[in-house]
Amino acid sequence: MERKVFIEPVARVEGHGGIEVFVEGNKVKEVRVDIFEGPRLMEELVKGKYPQEAVSITSRICAICFLSHRLSDIRAHERALWVEPSERTRLLRKLGHYGEMIESHSLHYYLLALPDYLGYPDAISMMKAFPKEVKGALELKKYGNRVMEIVAGRRVHGENMRIGGFGSLPSEEDLDWIAQMARNLISEIERGLALWGKLQIPDYMEEETTFASVWPEDGAFGFSADTIKISDGTELPADEYKTLTNEYVAPHSFAKRCRYKGNPYTVGALARVLLMGERLDGEAKRWFKKYYNQRWWKNPHYNNIAQAIELLFCLEKIPSLVEKIKKADYYEAAPSRESGSGTGIVEAPRGLLIHHYEIEDMKVKDADFVIPTTQNLDDMEKYIRTAAQNLIDKGEKELELPLEMIMRAYDPCISCSVHMVRVRWK
Amino acid sequence: MSKPRIGIYGLTGCAGDQLNILNCEDELLKLFDIFEIKSFVMASSAADEESPLDVAFVEGSVSTEKDLEHLKEIRKKSRLLVAIGHCAVFGGVQSMFTGKKWEETYRAVYGKKDAVSLTRPLPPKPLSAYVKVDAVLPGCPIEKEPFLKLAGLLAKGVVPRHPDFPVCAECKWKENECLLLKGEICLGPLTNSGCGAICPSLNIPCIGCWGPIEKENWEAEAFLLKENGFSVEEVVKRFAIFGGEERAEKLKKFLEGKEG
Repeated sequence: MERKVFIEPVARVEGHGGIEVFVEGNKVKEVRVDIFEGPRLMEELVKGKYPQEAVSITSRICAICFLSHRLSDIRAHERALWVEPSERTRLLRKLGHYGEMIESHSLHYYLLALPDYLGYPDAISMMKAFPKEVKGALELKKYGNRVMEIVAGRRVHGENMRIGGFGSLPSEEDLDWIAQMARNLISEIERGLALWGKLQIPDYMEEETTFASVWPEDGAFGFSADTIKISDGTELPADEYKTLTNEYVAPHSFAKRCRYKGNPYTVGALARVLLMGERLDGEAKRWFKKYYNQRWWKNPHYNNIAQAIELLFCLEKIPSLVEKIKKADYYEAAPSRESGSGTGIVEAPRGLLIHHYEIEDMKVKDADFVIPTTQNLDDMEKYIRTAAQNLIDKGEKELELPLEMIMRAYDPCISCSVHMVRVRWK
Repeated sequence: MSKPRIGIYGLTGCAGDQLNILNCEDELLKLFDIFEIKSFVMASSAADEESPLDVAFVEGSVSTEKDLEHLKEIRKKSRLLVAIGHCAVFGGVQSMFTGKKWEETYRAVYGKKDAVSLTRPLPPKPLSAYVKVDAVLPGCPIEKEPFLKLAGLLAKGVVPRHPDFPVCAECKWKENECLLLKGEICLGPLTNSGCGAICPSLNIPCIGCWGPIEKENWEAEAFLLKENGFSVEEVVKRFAIFGGEERAEKLKKFLEGKEG
């Protein structure tokens, strides 16, 4: 007898993502993460546009990661056109990037992921037992938003970051506020990190996988580079990203899929912390050492704590970064050539993000974008399949939350991860 | 009097408009107090899709058959339907005028027409292409202040029109130096106000992300841009990003006529 377990985001019933589990007898035959989000054809839309116009268009791919999209787009154009940005430009971009990490991670770690582990349906119901944690998360989220507003111009789709520089530079007063608030908020994160130590982390999906992230050339932990690192030891120059991604179209998804050497792989905070963990310092390093164990290589749940460690990393780095920004020189950098190709890679909060361009006479001839969730979908299916197989005898109710928590751990995107999902046996 | 029942929904897009509603951090609780929120998936898992609604806010463009079915259901159960954000009001960047047929563009990305069998993709369109829309709030994304103002008026039963003056008005209030006069392609005169002229205030030319105003002052814009040495092709290409397919095509014809 064939049965089908269908999980879909309840609140967005006609929504953008769902999970289908096909069961025969007591064996899970197939798992499909369906992506309903309609096609937007971004790669075609930028053709013929000026590079700066393309930057404005592609940051619209995602609201919560707009800044990462903007940064990888700008990087691709600057590499294609030989633009050498000033020191202040590079440091300010880094500050904006930290802002996005803080906003996105605080929302996901505290408000979306923790309620599952603590046995609450959502963050609002957590308020009574954990008022400091929930209020702290909102403070962090607001702070991350404010950093983006100051650096990038708006909380969503800010236009201030441009090829070669900035529309306007943030004031010294705003920069000082950013540094002071970062110092004030560190204790909020440490409260959240301490909470993790009290949780039981499930193991029914554990399985080895491959991880990939950026590999900063300066030897530091970071979110942008021109090199990709893979957990099998391979290092790839950004331009050779296709060796990693190998995109293909699956019939149940408008998001494309990726495989490395024929196998699924994982990107995101967990990949970063596993590959670059030895590069951490300060309190972030202390918390990483405290919690790290071999299960991290096999279990996507640890993506959540990896995000919390990155939150701390960003807050710890911001004060000294601000001091460097204030001393750094600034100029608006212009292209040194009008044709060429370039790849820009950065880490979006949910993983490796790649923008690639071919430019001819200052117009976009060709473009390719590879998004983190695209890269994670096949691994998400793999872990859900393993978990479903291991839990199949427990029945419908017991299957619901575990599968949903795996999907949520990947922080696939805000519209897919916020709401509860429901299992239906057919 | 009972609280107005509202729902907040998203079709195809980046979810930036719902995100900016969530980003009303300080006012969010008040909002939840004034309205009875029946469905807001990005904020709460407690959705009641059976209840009739007084107001439905919908972001995103209609880009698949599933989007269309969802939109029709929302329209059926809601007294008022408000399109929020550029995708819902004008179709979004995905509905950009490229001079090519949408089907060709789709095939270029996905290989063949039926590569994805989940639901049928449709050429992206604003909500008004399929259902009656009672009010609009444009913007890519919408901004907090105009959204709160709109929500407040709707709570009192007033259905407002979006003001039909361009970004230039807000830019003048901020006493910015005109970027058009500095030789930049700034779309301020053609674009809906509401953003507070945020980009020109940062010394960045307007890219038109609040969509085209109703009374487009094309002659003046064309004249200014022509004086500054920009070609019709350049102006149309820029306008097309957020101009919506139909209007961009119209602008092209208009400017070409002016040239001839």
